[in-house]
Amino acid sequence: MIPERVFNWAVWGGLLAFALLAEALGETYWLTLAARAAIFAIAGVGLNLALGNGGLISFGHAAFFGVGGYAVGILATHAQTYTPLFGLIEGTQSMPVTWSVAIVAGALAALVIGALSLRTSGAYFIMITLAFGQMFYYFAVTWSAYGGEDGMSIYVRGGFPGLNTLDPLHFFGLSFAVLTLVLLLVRMIDRSPFGLALNAVRQSPARVETVGISPRRLRLAAFVVSGAITALAGALFADLNRYVSPAMFSWTISGEIMIFVILGGVARLMGPVVGALVFVALEELLGGLSDYWHIWLGVLLLLIVLFARGGITGALTREARRG
Amino acid sequence: MADPVLSVTGLTKRFGAIEACSDVSLDLHAGEIHALIGPNGAGKSTLIAQIAGGLRPDAGSIRFLGRDVTALDTVARARLGLGRSFQVSAVVPDYSVVENVMLALHGRDRTAFRPFGHAFGKRALTEEARAHAARTHLSDRLNVPARSLAHGERRRLELAMALALRPRAFLLDEPMAGLGQEGAAELTALLSDLRDEAPILLVEHDMDAVFALADRISVLVYGRILATGTPDEIRADPQVRAAYLGDEVPA
Repeated sequence: MIPERVFNWAVWGGLLAFALLAEALGETYWLTLAARAAIFAIAGVGLNLALGNGGLISFGHAAFFGVGGYAVGILATHAQTYTPLFGLIEGTQSMPVTWSVAIVAGALAALVIGALSLRTSGAYFIMITLAFGQMFYYFAVTWSAYGGEDGMSIYVRGGFPGLNTLDPLHFFGLSFAVLTLVLLLVRMIDRSPFGLALNAVRQSPARVETVGISPRRLRLAAFVVSGAITALAGALFADLNRYVSPAMFSWTISGEIMIFVILGGVARLMGPVVGALVFVALEELLGGLSDYWHIWLGVLLLLIVLFARGGITGALTREARRG
Repeated sequence: MADPVLSVTGLTKRFGAIEACSDVSLDLHAGEIHALIGPNGAGKSTLIAQIAGGLRPDAGSIRFLGRDVTALDTVARARLGLGRSFQVSAVVPDYSVVENVMLALHGRDRTAFRPFGHAFGKRALTEEARAHAARTHLSDRLNVPARSLAHGERRRLELAMALALRPRAFLLDEPMAGLGQEGAAELTALLSDLRDEAPILLVEHDMDAVFALADRISVLVYGRILATGTPDEIRADPQVRAAYLGDEVPA
């Protein structure tokens, strides 16, 4: 058992060290894996804000992941074909721009989905967020202007000023930097008055209401930030694969993001990061042996849920979250 | 007499064929403790829920500080200064005493949506939280999670949170429930001091506490106000004795 702070730094440093080692050994594939893990971790950190802090069990976060990916894909498509979007806006592959668009689009999608879904709670909330995710999925499948079922290829990865994003180390560094910034943001939120209220609303909405704070508005605000972060992960994922397809909206993505959070530790800052790392590692190690590697993921998930409610983070660290 | 702080007029609430609250009128004046008593199922909780804002009345109006608040929700009424505590203790279980009070302070100051800065970053606010805890005799329990508090302590924490809102009126729903004799006596003394801060509408089953504290008492039976008066008047009222009090009244 180690203090959570030490554990958090170890996870953060471990991922960075793994990538640097891969670079030193010239294993570019490992670097790509590390970037993939970092991007999944960002999506998980986003969901964790809604699920862990806000107690909102969203089974539709693939919607935001996909929105972020499509924002990048659509802008790239217009840039590649030199046809302005809506006949007005030039396409672009500049990451600062595409990320901004992804974040805003994700936030707007979360605002709409959240405003409607937050009228319900419990199992209904899970179902309605799932339904919204599926709506986005089928919309993408039928959206023939942007590839329909086949999705869109991005011929050249988007660019970032001063970096060569085609270099796996640079792209990993970028993803890792975004992950770090997102973690700092979520930590800041967690400690702020908003965090105090949000963590309270999960436990006792009635109490929060009687001190003059609207639980629904709190949850909506958290949901919007959560959606925006997950959309940013989707944007990076699109550039990682240089390919965007309706699969990004698939409910299995929502499930996987939720697995990152539960595996690593709900409401723990580094929980989703740990979860994403373990997921990618299992996918890589076991996926090579059998197509049915998810069985082992399932077993692990079952053990975690049954015996370690704080996920892997909770099992390995001491230190109560609050109080 | 000055305008009442809280004034309920002709409040009616039906659930199907049952009239849980029929044509109820009552006032809460500055500086008083107004107790609401009645047998189980008399509609006390329904009445309190309507005053707090959790339940919409079918008819009648609620005025608070000269404003019609009938259409406002719980959050808006809390912001106007209606401090409430619950029949079932409602504190944030994983939060410590000081965190719970701090939550109330951020609610009052409308800083609960601020996503930056530490929740405990302002020294003056932290000190105020401690002061409210001290007022309710919780100074040596500041960092204890609410879930680990004794029942009576949790009640006092609720009161500290209500105090933190700097309320213009308190709405206390059975604060003595589940307290031992000692705890009830302690809380009675505390509540007696509070009336100068803000008037209290007190729903309570503990008749010792009611007759010790109340300046006025209203008796609710079958959703109607049977009588309103001073403790002496209520004690002497033959109707009240027959319908409710019986032998329970302390001599």
